[in-house]
Amino acid sequence: MTCHRPPAALRLFATIWFGSACAVGSAPRPELAGALLPKSSPRPDFALTATGGSPYHFFQATSGRLTLLYFGYLNCPDVCPATAAILGAAMAKLTSDDRSKIDLIFVTTDPERDSAAALGAWLGKFDREFIGLTGTPEQIALAERAVGIAPAIRDTAKGQYTVSHAAQVIVYSPDDSTHIAYPFGVRQQQWVADLPILLQRWTARDR
Amino acid sequence: MTWWCSATGVAWTGEWRAYPGVWIFLAILAALYWRLGRSRSADQSVADRYFAVGLVVGWLALDWPLGALGGYLAAAHTGQFILLALTAPAFLLLGLAPALRDDRRAPRRWIRFLAQPLPAFAGFNLIMLATHVPAVVDTLMASQLGSLAIDLGWLLAGCFLWWPVTAPAAYRRMAPPLQMGYLFIQTLPAILPAATLVFGSYPLYRLYELAPRVTDLLTPEYDHQVAGLLMKVVGDPVVWVGIAVIFFRWSNAERRADRERSAIPTPGKVS
Repeated sequence: MTCHRPPAALRLFATIWFGSACAVGSAPRPELAGALLPKSSPRPDFALTATGGSPYHFFQATSGRLTLLYFGYLNCPDVCPATAAILGAAMAKLTSDDRSKIDLIFVTTDPERDSAAALGAWLGKFDREFIGLTGTPEQIALAERAVGIAPAIRDTAKGQYTVSHAAQVIVYSPDDSTHIAYPFGVRQQQWVADLPILLQRWTARDR
Repeated sequence: MTWWCSATGVAWTGEWRAYPGVWIFLAILAALYWRLGRSRSADQSVADRYFAVGLVVGWLALDWPLGALGGYLAAAHTGQFILLALTAPAFLLLGLAPALRDDRRAPRRWIRFLAQPLPAFAGFNLIMLATHVPAVVDTLMASQLGSLAIDLGWLLAGCFLWWPVTAPAAYRRMAPPLQMGYLFIQTLPAILPAATLVFGSYPLYRLYELAPRVTDLLTPEYDHQVAGLLMKVVGDPVVWVGIAVIFFRWSNAERRADRERSAIPTPGKVS
């Protein structure tokens, strides 16, 4: 019996298509998708209010845990919902053990419009354990300064104002330092690959 | 200046936007048809209507809102594919068919070659698969020129798909049953991108994963799944409509032929 092989061009095309599509699932990556910081800085201490109304002392509440910290706002038209959706979807793909070791925190940069209830409801759409924090504009500015990111600026040129804010996710490792930040554009698949590594990379023993 | 719909990364506001490139492109198509694509045959007015429908379908796919949403949602991008590659070319070619049949300057060799099922199958599917490769979509959709290339590619792919069944009778190489089989087989390779979109563990396209959200209801995962489903659940029936038209035309022609045969008196038979 003769076995007819598909033409070389067809085989090449199938390889390219499958290769390209499968890259969104299994490609081995040598390093973390985030940007390593030239100098690590310690986990800061700032106090804000959780969506439930209780005070939230960042250092106390998260010390020794892998913490992903993001500053944004509910009316953000682009990066905030995309980042929250990607992080939420990535969390859902982790093992429950890994998920339980990670704190996902969203600090509003627009406390006047983002009520605690609205913030909690919005974050709950992405991940039920997303922690939402709010406070006075002064408290939030202090938190931004403590973290070392540019303060959010309200752009009031339009009637419905927007808020320019830092778009990176800052990662605090179990060693209570930040070594890496994730700019906007990191994909869900990359987070799913990186988070288990981040849990192991800078542990409490490295303090 | 924005002249063609593409992914901009700017938040979706729902505000109308002008895309003059789309209007100019469609106006050029209409002008070319009016000058070169018409014949003096009796069936020209029907052909004119077909071509007009093709232009309207193309306009719906390329202009605001669907064209603009194609830069935000994979589902809208698939909607554009269905209109541009599966729908508009069928009407445009039906509009051009009488002129290609009657015009002596028409490139008959090419017309005949492209009416064969194999070149048509290869042409349509190579373009369809290539324009769904993640790297291609992520790169091309980010610029107006790239987005234009994808749209033109889809129109060309649709011409490959439909030409074997819309070409003038003198050029067609397949009998109606084969034409129906050909169209059905043409719908099979799209299973590859559609299944990858529906069953993939992660969003396939970076562009649509990171695009500003149009609605909270469509997360990137749902958006990709809807896109994959649309490709098969809406895209295939569009081709099945073509199959149905061929079937009913064939069946009517057979019935007419039967009637004509039975009307001719058989010699020597006394009633």
